[in-house]
Amino acid sequence: MDLLEFKDAKCTPDIIHPYPPSIKNNSVPIIIDNGSYMSRVGWSTSTEPLLLYRNLIAKPRKERSKKDTIETPQTPQLQVGNDIVNIEAVRFQLKTQFDRNVVTHFEAQEHLFDYAFTHLGIDTENSVQHPIVLTEAFLNPNTSRQLMSELLFECYAVPGIAYGVDALFSYHFSQARPLENALIISLGYQTSHIIPVIGNKTIFENTRRLNTGGEELAKWLDSEYYEEHIKKIQLPYTAIGTSSALTMEQQKERKRELARRLTEINARKREERLAEDQEKLKQLLEILELIEFGAERETIEKALLGCQLKSVQDLQKNVTNLNLKIEKTKQKIIAANNIEEVEEPPVKQSKYSKMVFEKRRGITRQDILNKKLSRKQRKQDIFKRRTAAGQERMRIISQLARKEKGNDDFGLRDEDWDIYKTISKDGFPDNIQLSWEILRAHEPSELDETANPGETHQLHIGIECFRAPELLFKPYMAGSSEAGLSEVVGYVLSLFSPEDQLQLASNVVVVGGLANLPGLRERLLTDLISVRPFRSEVDVRVMADCTLSGWRGAKRFAESKGFDKCLLTREMYDEYGPEYFKVDVASNPYHQTPKESAVDVDV
Amino acid sequence: MEIMNTEEQRTEQKPVFKQTSFQISKSAKKKCVWKGLKQIVSSEKALPWPETVVHYSAINAPPSFKPPEKFSDLSGLPAPYTDPQTRLRFANKDEYATIIDLPMDITAGYLALRGATSIVG
Repeated sequence: MDLLEFKDAKCTPDIIHPYPPSIKNNSVPIIIDNGSYMSRVGWSTSTEPLLLYRNLIAKPRKERSKKDTIETPQTPQLQVGNDIVNIEAVRFQLKTQFDRNVVTHFEAQEHLFDYAFTHLGIDTENSVQHPIVLTEAFLNPNTSRQLMSELLFECYAVPGIAYGVDALFSYHFSQARPLENALIISLGYQTSHIIPVIGNKTIFENTRRLNTGGEELAKWLDSEYYEEHIKKIQLPYTAIGTSSALTMEQQKERKRELARRLTEINARKREERLAEDQEKLKQLLEILELIEFGAERETIEKALLGCQLKSVQDLQKNVTNLNLKIEKTKQKIIAANNIEEVEEPPVKQSKYSKMVFEKRRGITRQDILNKKLSRKQRKQDIFKRRTAAGQERMRIISQLARKEKGNDDFGLRDEDWDIYKTISKDGFPDNIQLSWEILRAHEPSELDETANPGETHQLHIGIECFRAPELLFKPYMAGSSEAGLSEVVGYVLSLFSPEDQLQLASNVVVVGGLANLPGLRERLLTDLISVRPFRSEVDVRVMADCTLSGWRGAKRFAESKGFDKCLLTREMYDEYGPEYFKVDVASNPYHQTPKESAVDVDV
Repeated sequence: MEIMNTEEQRTEQKPVFKQTSFQISKSAKKKCVWKGLKQIVSSEKALPWPETVVHYSAINAPPSFKPPEKFSDLSGLPAPYTDPQTRLRFANKDEYATIIDLPMDITAGYLALRGATSIVG
């Protein structure tokens, strides 16, 4: 089983791209796939988007303690897109221009456009002299589009805008020969759409949107998707307790060293004592010699006093004592020299003792654990009045109370006292209590057994890798009453005539970032077969490069012949009002907002 | 080099390509409050649209016609039981033993993940 390192996603700040004259002077369109998860921005002449960034801005809070100085301005720098180095660190200050999949917060959108245009290297004064191809939400409300046009025309003075839906761009333009009829399943970050296309026309009234997307899934699984059943994630940790890091062998070695040092000290002490005793014996023997040679009484007494002795008898006694002592010490030294290489007793094994203990008591550890559990359960039950255990206890208590009135022979037999065990609140025989304590004493502590401290910092992921994507198909797992993806696909199909159903089911196309989910195609195909008539043609396919296909589609659209006619120009904006836009094959339909009641435009 | 300068001074100064006169909020002093999507949708609904127009709010997915399956909050296994006290679902007695020991905030977290925070239902 491999370990997966848990990392915070880090962004690398974008460079400011060069702005060559070939682009500057030819008004090359800028393609912006403005998704609620990330934005992809690039020139229509480039093959890949130049900028890929999360549609997020982070506004760090003002620090109260810091004073406003010239070096550090009081208002902290706004972080936009890939400027945000660590998203996790500013998680609570993040803002996006999106409310679900619709742009509503245009101040944030302005910052993100600033970011995009600056990093594309645009340096023309007071205008961005490139038409913009911009993706928007399916059936984007007029209010949102109107504010977007206003922002682009009046703030950036762009010459023209073309709006389109990312999934439709992706279907109609990013593939070589798209079929006339298709059922597009667009899986986004906030929402998922099921879009039927018949005869190259989007059937808007039969499109359905699920309000489940990648973000909801991410809540359930805050990491990547895993291939295997159980995954272990190594969380960051710092190793502590260097002493415990010593191996058993090292500890043994240390003990042995200590013992050796102790014996050395003992031996030295013994030798010192021996020398001392021998010195004293020598003195005493000298005095004895003096007496034998018949020295004067005074000199003898002086010598005796010097050795703190009273009489000649004392002297004799001391001499024999010292002789014995010296003999003993000598024997000890010899013995100690012989013992030195004796092996120390084996280390007591906790497992061994546990086994012995279990044998002796005739009960296994599991028994005790079970008993402990049931005791806990009874204890809980007893406190609840209506449980059987609680009622039994009350019955016994009342019976006991009644008995005392009549002929009281309670307590004559030993068994009578057991009644208190059954009614006491944590009533259990004493031996169980005791054995639990013994068990605890012998239980190997878990910390000792894990050799690797990192193991206690691992996150184990079991079925979540299946559960999170399953949310798409079963939104009720997150409390939503909406139907799941497959059910909505079936529902959308049911809105068409049988002939059209056949056409749509035989060309189901999945687009959007979530289409990267492994096994998604097979799952959809199985579900679709189950709702389609027997042996009817069914096919599901995932768009190649589904994350970027929206951008690529929009780019091809900008390169196509009719592009100039699809462009909403500044003149049209001034003439027809901010709501108006050009409709094309990949765009939303245009409906003028009814004039009857005034629309609150500027809020 | 000019771009670099504007990049650095962005908080004070707009990038060169922007119109200097443009103010996104009409009254500069009053803080601009943006309408949320719900407000936009509801104000859109209030208008007398022609019959044929399809709206953002009209394409919501239908409610599920199938009864929802029940899964254990702890393990994700099919859960036939519900603990009446915490409202958590569980698959077997071992899970129940875990549930009765859980503190309030954990059980509330499990319920929130399942979207079952409302008292009704």
